[in-house]
Amino acid sequence: MEIVWTNILFSIVAFGILYFLLSKYAFSKLFAVMEKRRELVMQQMDEAAKTREQAVAYVEEQKQALNSARQEAQQIIQQSQITSNQQVEQALAQAKVEAARVKEEAVRDIENEKNKAVEELRSEIGTASVRIASKLLKKEVSASSEQEQLVNQYLNEVGGRS
Amino acid sequence: MHEMPKIFVGGIPIDISAVLMLLISCTVVFVLVMLSVRKLSVENPSKLQNFMEWVVEFVEGVVSSAMDLKKGKPYISLGLTLILFIFVSNLLGLPFSVVTEAHGPVTVFGHVIEATRNLAHGDHVEILWYKSPTADINITAGLAIIVFILMNFLGIKLNGKHYFKHYIEPFPIFLPLNIIENLAKPVALAIRLFANIFAGEVLITVILKLGILSIPFLAVWQGFSIFVGALQAFIFTILTMVYIAQMTIHEEEAH
Repeated sequence: MEIVWTNILFSIVAFGILYFLLSKYAFSKLFAVMEKRRELVMQQMDEAAKTREQAVAYVEEQKQALNSARQEAQQIIQQSQITSNQQVEQALAQAKVEAARVKEEAVRDIENEKNKAVEELRSEIGTASVRIASKLLKKEVSASSEQEQLVNQYLNEVGGRS
Repeated sequence: MHEMPKIFVGGIPIDISAVLMLLISCTVVFVLVMLSVRKLSVENPSKLQNFMEWVVEFVEGVVSSAMDLKKGKPYISLGLTLILFIFVSNLLGLPFSVVTEAHGPVTVFGHVIEATRNLAHGDHVEILWYKSPTADINITAGLAIIVFILMNFLGIKLNGKHYFKHYIEPFPIFLPLNIIENLAKPVALAIRLFANIFAGEVLITVILKLGILSIPFLAVWQGFSIFVGALQAFIFTILTMVYIAQMTIHEEEAH
């Protein structure tokens, strides 16, 4: 071990040059890149947080939309139920009215038929009674309208009484 | 005992091995760092860049343990250069060393190596050419002097009158003690680093004398020397940062 002053000087100079070169050409760039990465990570984390917030808001929105859709569906079902009930009632009322009408018509038809039958019967009885009378009386009864009118009048009196 | 290949050029002593080893050490560090920053990338760093960023973060941790990282930003480059240079220097001498035996005067670049001058007939000297640069006290002293000058300069520049006031605290009678304390710092730095690495290399030389038996011991000791080399580089760097912090940061509560 020996102290050599030039060695001390050389080591100082060598270290100084190394420090100068490294900090000028290497470390400054390296630090800049590391700083950039730090910023990048921060930015990405910010973005991730923002995206998560957006996702939460979106989910909330979707939930609300779903709820409103469900409500709407409920409303539609209710309304359709009401409508169908109304329609059933309407149909029932119409059927009742129709039935009443048909019945009335039938009654009227029966009445008509009956009247017609009575009328027919009456005319037949008229003719028959004239024939019977002619046979019974063996008398030529002319089929004049005068006599027939008389008979008819008589029959009318009989029918009206019956 | 190995001699250093010292020559006199115009009356100036030059230790060729020290110059050589400083050159190798600086070159290795420079090439390593330049390779790691060759293709810098923010998103896809190479393995070497990752390693260098780890070293930067490690040094940042060292600096922040001694002082506020905001104030310590300018010293990160210094700490990085220190730790890389010392670590590489410590490891250089581990795998091998180059020793030549001289039986007569040896000349380099036309100058006679001092140790080989005036050799008696039949005598010989062993000249150590390749070793750890930090196994030379002159080089560790150079590093320590850099730290000493830097910390006092920064203390005067950033701390002003508190720097000088510090020498007469707590009482003016402590002035010599404080001066010794200040001077002891670089001396301790230089001797600690030199002694650890030098002792490591001496022990390797001693173990090698065991012949073939030396292999297991050598393996263990080489491994331990790597650890010691890293540890000493770390200690030198953290002490530098602590000294700078002591000198530059004026603690209010202490006054």
